[in-house]
Amino acid sequence: MATRKGLGIGSMYYGIGYGFSRADIGSAEIEMAEDGTTTVYSGACDMGQGVMTVVTQVAAEELGIEPDQIRVVAADTGSTPDAGPTSGSRATFVQGVAVQNAAQELRGQILDMASRMLECPKENLHVRRGEVCETGTDRPLVSVGKVAHQLHFHGRRAAAWGWHDNTTQDVDPETSQGDAYATYGWATQLAEVEVDTETGRIRLTKLVSATDAGKAINPVAVEGQIEGGATMGLGYALYEQHILENGVPRTASLAFYLVPTSMDVPDIECEIVEVPDPRGPFGAKGVAEPATIPTTPAILNAIYDAIGIRITETPITPERVFFAIQEARARGEFEED
Amino acid sequence: MRQRYALRVNGETRETEAEPHESLLDVLRENLRLTGSKKGCNEAECGSCTVLLNGRPVVSCLVLVPDAVGRDIVTIEALAGDGTPHPVQRQMVEQGGVQCGYCTPGMIMSAYALLQENPHPTDEEIRFAISGNICRCTGYGKIVKAVRAAAEEVGRAAS
Ligand code: FES
Ligand code: FES
Repeated sequence: MATRKGLGIGSMYYGIGYGFSRADIGSAEIEMAEDGTTTVYSGACDMGQGVMTVVTQVAAEELGIEPDQIRVVAADTGSTPDAGPTSGSRATFVQGVAVQNAAQELRGQILDMASRMLECPKENLHVRRGEVCETGTDRPLVSVGKVAHQLHFHGRRAAAWGWHDNTTQDVDPETSQGDAYATYGWATQLAEVEVDTETGRIRLTKLVSATDAGKAINPVAVEGQIEGGATMGLGYALYEQHILENGVPRTASLAFYLVPTSMDVPDIECEIVEVPDPRGPFGAKGVAEPATIPTTPAILNAIYDAIGIRITETPITPERVFFAIQEARARGEFEED
Repeated sequence: MRQRYALRVNGETRETEAEPHESLLDVLRENLRLTGSKKGCNEAECGSCTVLLNGRPVVSCLVLVPDAVGRDIVTIEALAGDGTPHPVQRQMVEQGGVQCGYCTPGMIMSAYALLQENPHPTDEEIRFAISGNICRCTGYGKIVKAVRAAAEEVGRAAS
């Protein structure tokens, strides 16, 4: 068996959110109960990307309480305000700020009441780990639960609404110049492949991915997005093809539309690059699609590196590689072993 | 024609009525309300309906109810039957092996079956054991890690 190894790099940048002046808003409500447990009503829909976890963490961080004190009601048109779809790698970036804004206002209400209770100026107080503390010393003075109880007892507000508008300017219609998105994600991946020059079979043996997350609010979830995204990119490069014939799908089942299995995916090394983005919640930006995009070009470049042939049509099936090698051979352009 | 069947599910005998051409998956989900097993494709391609039949993992969408009679059926519901998650379940959460969760029950059943048979699998053996379970979200790395960690946990508990 003649196998050749190759290395390839793919790089990309990607606009986070909707850009091009398209409406791009997030909104959330937050309410603290008498005992300090808090409910966030967040319109962002979690399909596995982890936005519910992110919303919990953002609210906890902003309020200064523990994540287990927070409950999230999500993506229910009957009870949550609209936050737009989970798409364009925007959920964390846009909804995260809306939740942060709501939590910030609620924190202000807590501090106002605490200031009254403690007869201490609000400026000298902050919330940390569920306690209102003296700024400077971090000495806990009263629990958030007790303050919440007072807020309810006196009929004061313990609820807030947060809104975030991420809508950008459009580009110039004549020249297409301008800054279309609020921010951009960056990613580079390195692929290592083995190509069997007799059968055309390709094996991806290693993938290294460096993805700009701004700030990884939940590093495990970020890695999950990167690994899953790269796996989709791998499928796009090597296996997945949706065939339509006169509008009829010919690949209408998973027997014909091939999705990578556990045997096809190599070890993926994740490098999370953190350059905080001032417009995201705690510096975070979207990572989902950026993790998918560089994989295919990295693999295609690695194949070129291995066999010296540029294949430009995906998926790169063994047949395509096999015939590409035959043709290159016929032209006398294939470098034999 | 509808017939009566007695199925041994998670240690209990459950009586149910079904057409003989109905799948075990449909009967588990619709008749017995054991909705942990998922129907991803209904044609033996995705693995989300995996259950154990006499200890071996099978795709229940491809098993006809009459064929399941007289065999031991174990579904995902049995794994935390006493309220304590099985190490594979706990590690799936710990290691971040769950995203949308649709593949998770089937994935866990395949991994559980592997560990019953081979308590100290290599990563390659883990990958092979779950290769019939498609996951669109995770890229499998964290699932493999979870199964490995669960194997270690089970191993420690046994020694
Ligand atoms: S539902 Fe049975 S394998 Fe997909
Ligand atoms: S977690 Fe979504 S399919 Fe596996």
